[in-house]
Amino acid sequence: MPTYKLHYFDMHGAAEVSRQLFILSGTPFIDSRISKEQWPLFKETTPFGHLPVLEVDGRPLPQSQAIARYLAKEFGFYGKTPFESAWVDALADQIKDFLTEMRPYFDVFVAGSDKEKARVEIAMPAISKHFPFFEKAAKDNGSNGHFVGDSLTFVDVYIADRIVTIDGMLPGFADAYPSVLAIRDKVINDPRLKEWIATRGTRRVAGEVLVDLRK
Amino acid sequence: MPSFKLFYFDGRARAEVARQILHLADIPFEDVRVSYHDWPPMKPTTPFGQLPVLEVDGEQLPTSYAIFRYLAKEFGFNGQTAFETAWVDALADQHADYFNEIKPLFFVLWGFAQGDRTTMVKEIGAPARDKYFPLLEKIAKDNGLNGHFVGESLTWVDLLIAEHVGTVHQHLPGFLSAYPNVIKTVNKINSTPRLKEWIEKREPTAF
Repeated sequence: MPTYKLHYFDMHGAAEVSRQLFILSGTPFIDSRISKEQWPLFKETTPFGHLPVLEVDGRPLPQSQAIARYLAKEFGFYGKTPFESAWVDALADQIKDFLTEMRPYFDVFVAGSDKEKARVEIAMPAISKHFPFFEKAAKDNGSNGHFVGDSLTFVDVYIADRIVTIDGMLPGFADAYPSVLAIRDKVINDPRLKEWIATRGTRRVAGEVLVDLRK
Repeated sequence: MPSFKLFYFDGRARAEVARQILHLADIPFEDVRVSYHDWPPMKPTTPFGQLPVLEVDGEQLPTSYAIFRYLAKEFGFNGQTAFETAWVDALADQHADYFNEIKPLFFVLWGFAQGDRTTMVKEIGAPARDKYFPLLEKIAKDNGLNGHFVGESLTWVDLLIAEHVGTVHQHLPGFLSAYPNVIKTVNKINSTPRLKEWIEKREPTAF
Protein backbone atom coordinates (compact mmCIF):
# COMPACT_ATOMS: atom_id res chain seq x y z
CA MET A 1 0.00 0.00 0.00
CA PRO A 2 1.39 3.45 -0.82
CA THR A 3 1.91 6.07 1.88
CA TYR A 4 -0.71 8.76 1.58
CA LYS A 5 -0.32 12.25 3.00
CA LEU A 6 -3.05 14.85 2.47
CA HIS A 7 -2.16 18.49 3.06
CA TYR A 8 -4.85 21.11 3.64
CA PHE A 9 -5.83 23.89 5.99
CA ASP A 10 -7.54 23.07 9.25
CA MET A 11 -11.05 23.03 7.83
CA HIS A 12 -13.37 20.89 5.69
CA GLY A 13 -13.27 22.95 2.51
CA ALA A 14 -11.99 21.18 -0.55
CA ALA A 15 -10.22 18.34 1.28
CA GLU A 16 -12.91 16.79 3.46
CA VAL A 17 -14.26 14.61 0.64
CA SER A 18 -10.86 13.00 0.25
CA ARG A 19 -10.34 12.59 4.00
CA GLN A 20 -13.70 10.82 4.17
CA LEU A 21 -12.77 8.54 1.26
CA PHE A 22 -9.74 7.36 3.28
CA ILE A 23 -11.97 6.79 6.32
CA LEU A 24 -14.71 5.01 4.34
CA SER A 25 -12.22 2.69 2.72
CA GLY A 26 -10.35 2.00 5.95
CA THR A 27 -7.12 3.30 4.43
CA PRO A 28 -4.60 4.89 6.77
CA PHE A 29 -3.39 8.34 5.77
CA ILE A 30 -1.38 11.19 7.23
CA ASP A 31 -3.79 14.06 7.83
CA SER A 32 -1.61 17.16 7.46
CA ARG A 33 -3.01 20.52 8.51
CA ILE A 34 -1.16 23.64 7.39
CA SER A 35 -1.55 26.71 9.57
CA LYS A 36 -1.91 30.29 8.32
CA GLU A 37 1.62 31.00 9.54
CA GLN A 38 3.11 27.99 7.75
CA TRP A 39 1.25 28.63 4.50
CA PRO A 40 3.45 31.23 2.74
CA LEU A 41 6.50 28.98 2.88
CA PHE A 42 4.57 25.77 2.24
CA LYS A 43 2.87 27.36 -0.79
CA GLU A 44 6.22 27.50 -2.59
CA THR A 45 6.53 23.73 -2.40
CA THR A 46 3.13 23.01 -3.97
CA PRO A 47 2.72 22.28 -7.70
CA PHE A 48 0.11 25.00 -8.33
CA GLY A 49 0.37 27.25 -5.30
CA HIS A 50 -2.76 25.98 -3.59
CA LEU A 51 -4.12 23.26 -1.36
CA PRO A 52 -5.11 20.49 -1.06
CA VAL A 53 -2.14 18.47 -2.23
CA LEU A 54 -2.05 14.69 -1.94
CA GLU A 55 1.32 13.00 -1.66
CA VAL A 56 1.39 9.42 -2.88
CA ASP A 57 4.70 7.88 -1.80
CA GLY A 58 6.01 11.44 -1.72
CA ARG A 59 4.80 12.36 -5.24
CA PRO A 60 2.51 15.40 -5.16
CA LEU A 61 -0.91 15.64 -6.81
CA PRO A 62 -2.80 18.95 -6.67
CA GLN A 63 -6.45 19.95 -7.27
CA SER A 64 -9.17 18.69 -4.98
CA GLN A 65 -11.36 17.04 -7.64
CA ALA A 66 -8.41 15.22 -9.22
CA ILE A 67 -7.40 13.98 -5.76
CA ALA A 68 -10.93 12.85 -4.88
CA ARG A 69 -11.37 11.08 -8.22
CA TYR A 70 -7.98 9.34 -7.93
CA LEU A 71 -8.82 8.05 -4.45
CA ALA A 72 -12.40 7.18 -5.44
CA LYS A 73 -11.03 5.04 -8.26
CA GLU A 74 -8.47 3.36 -6.01
CA PHE A 75 -11.01 2.61 -3.28
CA GLY A 76 -14.11 1.79 -5.36
CA PHE A 77 -16.26 4.89 -4.95
CA TYR A 78 -16.47 5.79 -8.63
CA GLY A 79 -19.47 3.87 -10.00
CA LYS A 80 -19.68 0.42 -11.56
CA THR A 81 -19.46 1.27 -15.29
CA PRO A 82 -17.64 3.94 -17.36
CA PHE A 83 -20.96 5.70 -18.02
CA GLU A 84 -21.78 5.70 -14.31
CA SER A 85 -18.32 7.14 -13.57
CA ALA A 86 -18.95 9.82 -16.19
CA TRP A 87 -22.18 10.80 -14.40
CA VAL A 88 -20.32 10.95 -11.09
CA ASP A 89 -17.92 13.37 -12.81
CA ALA A 90 -20.73 15.42 -14.35
CA LEU A 91 -22.49 15.89 -11.00
CA ALA A 92 -19.20 16.70 -9.25
CA ASP A 93 -18.53 19.39 -11.88
CA GLN A 94 -21.98 20.89 -11.38
CA ILE A 95 -21.54 20.93 -7.62
CA LYS A 96 -18.22 22.71 -8.10
CA ASP A 97 -19.94 25.29 -10.36
CA PHE A 98 -22.59 25.77 -7.66
CA LEU A 99 -19.90 26.34 -5.02
CA THR A 100 -18.09 28.81 -7.30
CA GLU A 101 -21.33 30.81 -7.56
CA MET A 102 -21.76 30.63 -3.77
CA ARG A 103 -18.20 31.85 -3.13
CA PRO A 104 -19.06 35.55 -2.73
CA TYR A 105 -21.71 34.55 -0.18
CA PHE A 106 -19.22 32.43 1.77
CA ASP A 107 -16.76 35.33 1.79
CA VAL A 108 -19.41 37.69 3.18
CA PHE A 109 -20.56 35.13 5.73
CA VAL A 110 -17.05 34.72 7.10
CA ALA A 111 -15.80 38.28 6.97
CA GLY A 112 -18.37 40.63 5.49
CA SER A 113 -21.13 42.89 6.67
CA ASP A 114 -24.41 42.50 4.80
CA LYS A 115 -25.12 38.78 5.13
CA GLU A 116 -28.81 39.15 4.37
CA LYS A 117 -28.15 41.00 1.11
CA ALA A 118 -25.64 38.33 0.08
CA ARG A 119 -28.10 35.59 1.03
CA VAL A 120 -30.82 37.07 -1.17
CA GLU A 121 -28.67 38.17 -4.09
CA ILE A 122 -26.06 35.42 -4.25
CA ALA A 123 -26.94 32.33 -2.20
CA MET A 124 -30.64 31.92 -2.99
CA PRO A 125 -30.24 32.29 -6.79
CA ALA A 126 -27.34 29.81 -6.83
CA ILE A 127 -29.28 27.29 -4.76
CA SER A 128 -32.48 27.58 -6.78
CA LYS A 129 -30.53 27.35 -10.03
CA HIS A 130 -28.59 24.18 -9.20
CA PHE A 131 -30.51 22.18 -6.61
CA PRO A 132 -33.50 21.35 -8.82
CA PHE A 133 -31.04 19.63 -11.17
CA PHE A 134 -29.44 17.75 -8.26
CA GLU A 135 -32.90 16.73 -7.03
CA LYS A 136 -33.88 15.51 -10.49
CA ALA A 137 -30.68 13.47 -10.79
CA ALA A 138 -31.27 11.91 -7.36
CA LYS A 139 -34.92 11.17 -8.23
CA ASP A 140 -34.08 9.76 -11.65
CA ASN A 141 -31.68 7.42 -9.85
CA GLY A 142 -34.59 6.14 -7.77
CA SER A 143 -34.22 8.35 -4.68
CA ASN A 144 -32.11 5.56 -3.22
CA GLY A 145 -29.69 7.71 -1.28
CA HIS A 146 -27.17 7.80 -4.15
CA PHE A 147 -26.69 10.11 -7.08
CA VAL A 148 -25.50 7.35 -9.38
CA GLY A 149 -26.12 3.62 -9.32
CA ASP A 150 -26.75 1.80 -6.09
CA SER A 151 -23.50 2.24 -4.26
CA LEU A 152 -21.63 5.07 -2.56
CA THR A 153 -19.62 7.31 -4.90
CA PHE A 154 -17.44 10.30 -4.15
CA VAL A 155 -20.09 12.70 -5.42
CA ASP A 156 -22.45 11.47 -2.65
CA VAL A 157 -19.72 12.24 -0.10
CA TYR A 158 -19.09 15.61 -1.76
CA ILE A 159 -22.70 16.84 -1.67
CA ALA A 160 -23.19 15.53 1.87
CA ASP A 161 -20.24 17.47 3.26
CA ARG A 162 -21.16 20.66 1.42
CA ILE A 163 -24.78 20.46 2.61
CA VAL A 164 -23.63 20.02 6.20
CA THR A 165 -21.34 23.04 5.89
CA ILE A 166 -23.88 25.30 4.15
CA ASP A 167 -26.67 24.19 6.50
CA GLY A 168 -24.56 25.67 9.25
CA MET A 169 -24.89 29.06 7.52
CA LEU A 170 -28.39 28.70 6.08
CA PRO A 171 -30.31 26.19 8.20
CA GLY A 172 -32.81 24.19 6.19
CA PHE A 173 -31.66 25.64 2.86
CA ALA A 174 -32.10 22.31 1.09
CA ASP A 175 -35.42 21.27 2.64
CA ALA A 176 -37.16 21.51 -0.73
CA TYR A 177 -34.85 18.81 -2.11
CA PRO A 178 -35.66 15.63 -0.15
CA SER A 179 -33.94 13.16 -2.49
CA VAL A 180 -30.71 15.13 -2.19
CA LEU A 181 -31.10 15.28 1.60
CA ALA A 182 -31.52 11.50 1.56
CA ILE A 183 -28.04 11.29 0.03
CA ARG A 184 -26.65 13.50 2.79
CA ASP A 185 -28.38 11.37 5.43
CA LYS A 186 -27.01 8.13 4.05
CA VAL A 187 -23.45 9.49 4.09
CA ILE A 188 -23.47 11.09 7.53
CA ASN A 189 -25.09 7.98 9.01
CA ASP A 190 -22.59 5.62 7.42
CA PRO A 191 -21.18 3.62 10.35
CA ARG A 192 -17.68 3.87 8.91
CA LEU A 193 -17.76 7.67 9.29
CA LYS A 194 -19.22 7.69 12.80
CA GLU A 195 -16.00 8.03 14.77
CA TRP A 196 -14.56 10.61 12.35
CA ILE A 197 -17.69 12.78 12.44
CA ALA A 198 -17.86 12.49 16.24
CA THR A 199 -14.35 13.93 16.62
CA ARG A 200 -15.05 16.82 14.25
CA GLY A 201 -14.75 19.41 16.97
CA THR A 202 -11.34 18.39 18.17
CA ARG A 203 -9.01 19.33 15.39
CA ARG A 204 -5.55 20.64 15.94
CA VAL A 205 -4.43 23.76 14.13
CA ALA A 206 -1.31 22.42 12.50
CA GLY A 207 0.75 19.28 12.20
CA GLU A 208 0.56 15.78 10.84
CA VAL A 209 -1.47 13.00 12.38
CA LEU A 210 -1.58 9.44 11.14
CA VAL A 211 -5.27 8.54 10.91
CA ASP A 212 -5.74 4.80 11.05
CA LEU A 213 -9.25 3.77 11.95
CA ARG A 214 -8.83 0.13 11.01
CA LYS A 215 -10.24 -2.08 13.70
CA MET B 1 -19.68 0.14 -30.56
CA PRO B 2 -22.33 2.49 -29.14
CA SER B 3 -23.73 5.31 -31.24
CA PHE B 4 -22.46 8.77 -30.31
CA LYS B 5 -24.34 12.01 -30.80
CA LEU B 6 -22.73 15.23 -29.61
CA PHE B 7 -24.87 18.32 -29.14
CA TYR B 8 -23.30 21.78 -28.93
CA PHE B 9 -23.62 25.22 -30.44
CA ASP B 10 -21.89 25.95 -33.72
CA GLY B 11 -18.49 26.58 -32.22
CA ARG B 12 -15.40 24.94 -30.75
CA ALA B 13 -15.36 26.26 -27.16
CA ARG B 14 -16.64 23.55 -24.82
CA ALA B 15 -17.10 20.71 -27.32
CA GLU B 16 -14.15 20.71 -29.67
CA VAL B 17 -12.02 18.36 -27.55
CA ALA B 18 -14.80 15.74 -27.72
CA ARG B 19 -15.00 16.05 -31.51
CA GLN B 20 -11.23 15.71 -31.75
CA ILE B 21 -11.07 12.60 -29.54
CA LEU B 22 -13.78 10.89 -31.61
CA HIS B 23 -12.06 11.86 -34.84
CA LEU B 24 -8.62 10.80 -33.60
CA ALA B 25 -10.07 7.43 -32.59
CA ASP B 26 -11.82 7.17 -35.97
CA ILE B 27 -15.20 6.76 -34.30
CA PRO B 28 -18.21 7.89 -36.30
CA PHE B 29 -20.42 10.36 -34.46
CA GLU B 30 -23.23 12.77 -35.17
CA ASP B 31 -21.85 16.28 -34.72
CA VAL B 32 -25.04 18.23 -34.00
CA ARG B 33 -24.75 22.03 -34.07
CA VAL B 34 -27.63 23.55 -32.16
CA SER B 35 -28.75 26.94 -33.45
CA TYR B 36 -29.68 29.74 -31.05
CA HIS B 37 -33.22 29.40 -32.41
CA ASP B 38 -33.43 25.69 -31.53
CA TRP B 39 -31.82 26.00 -28.11
CA PRO B 40 -34.69 27.35 -25.93
CA PRO B 41 -37.02 24.37 -26.58
CA MET B 42 -34.09 21.96 -26.27
CA LYS B 43 -32.76 23.39 -22.99
CA PRO B 44 -35.32 21.78 -20.62
CA THR B 45 -34.66 18.39 -22.19
CA THR B 46 -31.01 18.45 -21.13
CA PRO B 47 -29.85 17.17 -17.72
CA PHE B 48 -28.44 20.51 -16.49
CA GLY B 49 -29.96 23.01 -18.94
CA GLN B 50 -26.59 23.37 -20.67
CA LEU B 51 -24.58 22.19 -23.65
CA PRO B 52 -22.57 20.18 -24.55
CA VAL B 53 -24.48 16.94 -24.07
CA LEU B 54 -23.20 13.60 -25.37
CA GLU B 55 -25.74 10.91 -26.15
CA VAL B 56 -24.35 7.40 -25.89
CA ASP B 57 -26.90 4.98 -27.37
CA GLY B 58 -29.48 7.66 -26.61
CA GLU B 59 -28.46 8.12 -22.95
CA GLN B 60 -27.49 11.67 -22.10
CA LEU B 61 -24.23 12.74 -20.45
CA PRO B 62 -23.75 16.43 -19.61
CA THR B 63 -20.77 18.69 -18.78
CA SER B 64 -17.80 19.13 -21.06
CA TYR B 65 -15.11 17.65 -18.82
CA ALA B 66 -17.16 14.54 -17.94
CA ILE B 67 -17.69 14.01 -21.69
CA PHE B 68 -14.00 14.54 -22.51
CA ARG B 69 -12.87 12.23 -19.72
CA TYR B 70 -15.36 9.51 -20.66
CA LEU B 71 -14.31 9.53 -24.32
CA ALA B 72 -10.63 9.83 -23.44
CA LYS B 73 -10.90 6.77 -21.21
CA GLU B 74 -12.81 4.76 -23.82
CA PHE B 75 -10.37 5.59 -26.60
CA GLY B 76 -7.00 5.82 -24.86
CA PHE B 77 -6.31 9.51 -24.34
CA ASN B 78 -6.34 9.46 -20.55
CA GLY B 79 -2.73 8.75 -19.51
CA GLN B 80 -0.92 5.46 -18.96
CA THR B 81 -1.08 5.05 -15.17
CA ALA B 82 -3.62 5.98 -12.49
CA PHE B 83 -1.31 8.72 -11.19
CA GLU B 84 -0.73 10.11 -14.69
CA THR B 85 -4.50 10.15 -15.25
CA ALA B 86 -4.90 12.07 -12.00
CA TRP B 87 -2.35 14.63 -13.23
CA VAL B 88 -4.27 14.99 -16.50
CA ASP B 89 -7.34 15.78 -14.35
CA ALA B 90 -5.40 18.18 -12.11
CA LEU B 91 -3.98 20.14 -15.05
CA ALA B 92 -7.39 20.27 -16.72
CA ASP B 93 -8.91 21.67 -13.52
CA GLN B 94 -6.13 24.24 -13.27
CA HIS B 95 -6.88 25.20 -16.87
CA ALA B 96 -10.58 25.57 -16.00
CA ASP B 97 -9.68 27.86 -13.08
CA TYR B 98 -7.57 29.99 -15.45
CA PHE B 99 -10.27 30.07 -18.10
CA ASN B 100 -12.87 31.20 -15.56
CA GLU B 101 -10.63 34.18 -14.78
CA ILE B 102 -10.00 35.12 -18.42
CA LYS B 103 -13.50 34.28 -19.68
CA PRO B 104 -14.83 37.88 -19.56
CA LEU B 105 -12.12 38.89 -22.05
CA PHE B 106 -13.04 36.05 -24.43
CA PHE B 107 -16.75 36.86 -24.20
CA VAL B 108 -15.87 40.33 -25.50
CA LEU B 109 -13.53 38.94 -28.18
CA TRP B 110 -16.24 36.49 -29.28
CA GLY B 111 -18.86 39.23 -29.40
CA PHE B 112 -21.01 37.86 -26.55
CA ALA B 113 -20.46 40.87 -24.33
CA GLN B 114 -19.47 44.51 -24.56
CA GLY B 115 -16.18 45.78 -23.26
CA ASP B 116 -13.05 47.69 -24.10
CA ARG B 117 -10.68 45.14 -25.58
CA THR B 118 -7.44 46.94 -24.72
CA THR B 119 -8.43 47.57 -21.12
CA MET B 120 -9.61 44.01 -20.68
CA VAL B 121 -6.46 42.51 -22.14
CA LYS B 122 -4.43 44.57 -19.69
CA GLU B 123 -6.61 44.14 -16.58
CA ILE B 124 -8.04 40.65 -17.05
CA GLY B 125 -6.14 38.82 -19.77
CA ALA B 126 -2.54 39.48 -18.81
CA PRO B 127 -2.89 38.78 -15.06
CA ALA B 128 -4.78 35.53 -15.69
CA ARG B 129 -2.23 34.49 -18.28
CA ASP B 130 0.77 35.32 -16.12
CA LYS B 131 -0.62 33.36 -13.20
CA TYR B 132 -1.19 30.18 -15.23
CA PHE B 133 1.19 30.05 -18.18
CA PRO B 134 4.40 29.98 -16.11
CA LEU B 135 3.05 26.74 -14.58
CA LEU B 136 2.42 25.32 -18.06
CA GLU B 137 5.85 26.45 -19.23
CA LYS B 138 7.48 24.61 -16.32
CA ILE B 139 5.28 21.53 -16.78
CA ALA B 140 6.19 21.32 -20.48
CA LYS B 141 9.90 21.63 -19.62
CA ASP B 142 9.79 19.17 -16.70
CA ASN B 143 8.00 16.69 -18.95
CA GLY B 144 10.99 16.76 -21.29
CA LEU B 145 9.55 19.00 -24.02
CA ASN B 146 8.27 15.76 -25.54
CA GLY B 147 5.18 17.31 -27.09
CA HIS B 148 2.89 16.47 -24.17
CA PHE B 149 1.93 18.16 -20.96
CA VAL B 150 1.57 14.90 -19.03
CA GLY B 151 3.34 11.62 -19.68
CA GLU B 152 4.44 10.42 -23.09
CA SER B 153 1.20 9.96 -24.96
CA LEU B 154 -1.50 12.26 -26.26
CA THR B 155 -4.10 13.03 -23.57
CA TRP B 156 -7.27 15.09 -23.54
CA VAL B 157 -5.56 17.86 -21.58
CA ASP B 158 -3.06 18.23 -24.47
CA LEU B 159 -6.06 18.74 -26.77
CA LEU B 160 -7.72 21.12 -24.29
CA ILE B 161 -4.67 23.38 -24.00
CA ALA B 162 -3.80 23.24 -27.71
CA GLU B 163 -7.36 24.20 -28.65
CA HIS B 164 -7.28 27.15 -26.27
CA VAL B 165 -3.89 28.35 -27.53
CA GLY B 166 -5.29 28.20 -31.07
CA THR B 167 -8.19 30.40 -30.01
CA VAL B 168 -5.79 32.83 -28.30
CA HIS B 169 -3.71 33.10 -31.48
CA GLN B 170 -6.84 33.70 -33.52
CA HIS B 171 -7.70 36.82 -31.50
CA LEU B 172 -4.54 37.92 -29.69
CA PRO B 173 -1.43 37.23 -31.76
CA GLY B 174 1.74 37.51 -29.69
CA PHE B 175 -0.16 37.17 -26.39
CA LEU B 176 1.81 34.04 -25.46
CA SER B 177 5.22 35.03 -26.80
CA ALA B 178 6.76 34.74 -23.32
CA TYR B 179 5.91 31.02 -23.22
CA PRO B 180 7.95 29.28 -25.95
CA ASN B 181 7.84 25.80 -24.37
CA VAL B 182 4.06 25.91 -24.32
CA ILE B 183 4.00 26.99 -27.97
CA LYS B 184 6.48 24.24 -28.93
CA THR B 185 4.36 21.65 -27.14
CA VAL B 186 1.13 22.89 -28.74
CA ASN B 187 2.73 22.84 -32.19
CA LYS B 188 3.78 19.24 -31.66
CA ILE B 189 0.26 18.32 -30.48
CA ASN B 190 -1.28 19.99 -33.52
CA SER B 191 1.01 18.07 -35.84
CA THR B 192 -0.58 14.74 -34.81
CA PRO B 193 -1.67 13.54 -38.29
CA ARG B 194 -5.43 13.04 -37.83
CA LEU B 195 -5.64 16.15 -35.67
CA LYS B 196 -3.78 18.29 -38.21
CA GLU B 197 -6.21 17.08 -40.85
CA TRP B 198 -9.24 17.83 -38.64
CA ILE B 199 -8.03 21.35 -37.88
CA GLU B 200 -7.34 22.06 -41.56
CA LYS B 201 -10.71 20.72 -42.78
CA ARG B 202 -13.08 22.04 -40.10
CA GLU B 203 -15.35 24.97 -40.89
CA PRO B 204 -14.07 28.12 -39.19
CA THR B 205 -16.38 29.30 -36.40
CA ALA B 206 -16.60 32.52 -34.45
CA PHE B 207 -15.72 30.79 -31.15
